Amino acid sequence: MSHGPEDTDAPKEERLVALAPRVYGFLVRLVGNRETAEDLTQETLLRALRGFAAYRPEGKFRAWVFRIATNAARDWIRRRPREPALGLETDADAPLPGTVGREPPPEARLLAGERIARVEAALARLSEPDREVLLMRYYGELEFKDIARATGEPLGTVLARAHRALKKLANLVPQGEEK
Amino acid sequence: MNGCPKGEEWVAYVAGEVAPRLHRMLAAHLDVCPACRREVEDLARGLEALGALAHEPPLRPEAMERLRRRLRVAAAHPPSPGGLRRTSPPARPRVVRLFVRYGWAAAAAVLIAAALLWHTAAPDQATLPLGNHHAEAIEEIAAAIELLDLADNGTRSERLDRLPGGGAAEEIHLFLELDDAGLLLDYLLSQDGLRG
Repeated sequence: MSHGPEDTDAPKEERLVALAPRVYGFLVRLVGNRETAEDLTQETLLRALRGFAAYRPEGKFRAWVFRIATNAARDWIRRRPREPALGLETDADAPLPGTVGREPPPEARLLAGERIARVEAALARLSEPDREVLLMRYYGELEFKDIARATGEPLGTVLARAHRALKKLANLVPQGEEK
Repeated sequence: MNGCPKGEEWVAYVAGEVAPRLHRMLAAHLDVCPACRREVEDLARGLEALGALAHEPPLRPEAMERLRRRLRVAAAHPPSPGGLRRTSPPARPRVVRLFVRYGWAAAAAVLIAAALLWHTAAPDQATLPLGNHHAEAIEEIAAAIELLDLADNGTRSERLDRLPGGGAAEEIHLFLELDDAGLLLDYLLSQDGLRG
């Protein structure tokens, strides 16, 4: 029997397993490398399991796990100063600076083709904190106030990041591409 | 335009995260302000574009399975109050004490050899020369090492990152570097995979 992440009666490890695909999706687009994202997903969920006592039920479980994932990604990015995370390589245009040699997600490309590639290219051009907010919103399905809690930033800052990122995304994905 | 709501407010509006009263005020403003209408259209287009990621890159089935196993192992072996490391382990039968003292190194050596054979003979994991039984045991060891590693450093060990390649053999090498072999052996002895 499978359990959802918000199913408080489920064993904690099952709740974490249910979140794994989303945490991985978030991380793979944040660090731009599938193998690293797998490692970080595992690290995130093991840390969450070990630190379960620190979770306060008044906050969203997903927000708490994504906070751990964000910290894990930031730690990794700090340890890799010469390889800043820029997102996944795309074939929509020329390779993005710094993304040559990164592993693209072939399944995603096969499934959604050029449209996904264009969005990925646009995401890759965002600053890391701005991209982080959008990815948490999308993969974590978190409200902006939850993202503020997860990132430890004021709500106004998170909304400003989202505003800047969405405007850039809209400009980089030409009108009509989003349909 | 002066007097227009800020961009942050429009983000919350487009995301449906404003209170009903503020929502009505913002909607009323949109009726009379073409600039803000364009702003909202841009933000909505950005959010909609993000929806293109609906086919998120999937976690590989083998990675998902490994994750399940490690979480299961971690949940079944919660840390002691002082962390995973014990300063005074409980008394064990003599044979176990001897094995703790000497046997773990031999067991690790055998496992390393087996894992290296596995890696050398079949880099593609689809054709494991080892039985599933042993492959699973190695996987369990890797999981235990990961737990010790996390307890020790709070993060994935950089030592592991420095090792060439990846996989169970390298993780078993790491096991040899760990101080708390006794605890790891406790764990191994409790596993069906190594009893017989």
